[in-house]
Amino acid sequence: MSCPRCQAEEKHCRLEHEGREAGEIIWKVFYCQRCAFTWRDSEPTESIDYEKRDEWFQVDPDQPDQYPHNIPPAKLHKNK
Amino acid sequence: MAGKNKSISSQAKAVAERIHCLRDYLDLLSEHGQFIKWPEAVMPEPDIRKIAVASGRDSMGAPAIMFDNIRGYPGRRMVFGVHGSFSNIALLLGYPKGTSIKELFYELIGRWGSDKPLIDRIKAEDAPVNQNRIESDINLYDVIPLYRVNESDGGFYIGKANIVSRDPLDPENFDKQNVGIYRIQVHGPDQFSLLSVPSHDMAHMIRAAEAEDLPLKIAVMIGNHPAMAMFAATPINYDESEYGYASQMMGSPIQLTTSGNGLDIQAGAEIVIEAELINNKRTLEGPFGEFPGSYSGVRHVPLFKITAISHRDNPIFENIYIGRGWTEHDTLIGLNTCAPVYSQLKESFPEVVAVNALYQHGLTGIISVKNRFAGFAKSVALRALSTPHGLMYLKNLIMVDEFVDPFDLNEVMWALSTRTRASDIHVIPNMPLVLIDPAAEVPGKGHRLIIDATSFMAPDPVGADSKLVMPPSGAEIDELARMVQELQRRAEKS
Repeated sequence: MSCPRCQAEEKHCRLEHEGREAGEIIWKVFYCQRCAFTWRDSEPTESIDYEKRDEWFQVDPDQPDQYPHNIPPAKLHKNK
Repeated sequence: MAGKNKSISSQAKAVAERIHCLRDYLDLLSEHGQFIKWPEAVMPEPDIRKIAVASGRDSMGAPAIMFDNIRGYPGRRMVFGVHGSFSNIALLLGYPKGTSIKELFYELIGRWGSDKPLIDRIKAEDAPVNQNRIESDINLYDVIPLYRVNESDGGFYIGKANIVSRDPLDPENFDKQNVGIYRIQVHGPDQFSLLSVPSHDMAHMIRAAEAEDLPLKIAVMIGNHPAMAMFAATPINYDESEYGYASQMMGSPIQLTTSGNGLDIQAGAEIVIEAELINNKRTLEGPFGEFPGSYSGVRHVPLFKITAISHRDNPIFENIYIGRGWTEHDTLIGLNTCAPVYSQLKESFPEVVAVNALYQHGLTGIISVKNRFAGFAKSVALRALSTPHGLMYLKNLIMVDEFVDPFDLNEVMWALSTRTRASDIHVIPNMPLVLIDPAAEVPGKGHRLIIDATSFMAPDPVGADSKLVMPPSGAEIDELARMVQELQRRAEKS
């Protein structure tokens, strides 16, 4: 398993929650600790299969500067 | 804001007095066939999304829809479409379902600027929201059936919460307590991000807390009084209370209690999440399918840590479908977008009759105005562009005569078809524009388009066959239209 959005390895994918009915697991929710994507393993492939997802929605956590701050932290203000 | 201080009708008063929370409103909607429970089990994705899109097709009549059998979330329930149609809004304002948008518009205008805030204080131990409280091992998924709203959203969103916060520099001041709707993305069992436009009150508070290294405590209220959901999104001044405003608009008190972290919350809210800003921490947020009908990008956004959750027995997660219009978002904020533009225009130009700014938060507006002289409507359009909302939003403006109902697109199309000349179309390029307009050439700048579709007047050359048919109009015709509908309903029943 890897992140459907940034392809981070399994060790970065945190199990968030298991949906159960009468003790049986219906689905699992995961969270990518690298790109902050959340997904459920029961979702349609357009949302959770890296190959089928629209490329436009890929995120590269190694390029954080690509993603602007909507409110820069105060520490950033002070450094500037 | 200017208002006529019209008194609220006895029927509206009776409705207002029986509604104290979401459940009361759902009861009212149910009595009028405007609330249904989905009869089958649904998967969180894609079923909820598909049903929401389908019901959004009927902006006049769609019901609120509840799911109480969501696979993997046994015992949890959620509702959407509570403000999803003008019939639902009509019932809230004490009108019959099917009431025209124009009538609802005038009702809202009439309620402005009245009375002082009406607040009922409820002891914390008596508040329904405190029936259950979680302070340790917090897991949002245990309380809220979270799901992905649009297929390419970056995560699971809470899109219709009222978020209350107090100025960290002046925490005792009730009037500087802000209640707003900000989108929330869940980042784990006990963390979430919150997106605030940099100019909004919440952003001001976040900057103040981080600059002075003070705690910023907030309460996220889910499943709210229907007036709060409608009016928390209305731009009012920084030192005015949204609670006061919503109670004035309803003409009945809002019941408040104190949250565990010291904020004024709705006593009858379904779920209240108490949380604290993690100062200077940011996380990637988005994309999220937003109201212009396109996805917003990924940004670094402030992160909050949940400290406690209170909820009613068997709580209802109220959420909203938002995406390419028409959606509940358009109905929820539509009339509240029209009203301030109207009242500000009316102060300068009493000839303005109505403003329809329902489309994408007013990116397109239609204004009906009585021409004082030839070309007058164009000047009124320019004034509309300089109102606080017009400044950033009113991109396309269509001006129509005073006898054209701007909310009736058949009438507007008549005006465009028969009143518009090439010289009536004006484009102003390179103007300021709200960041999220996907048509902008660069974010923050764009065009303004004015189409003057009002009638010709001397000294303009007046066209051939220019004498208008003036069919009967006014209250009598409105009443007859209602009678036709009623007779039709009876015919259907018999």
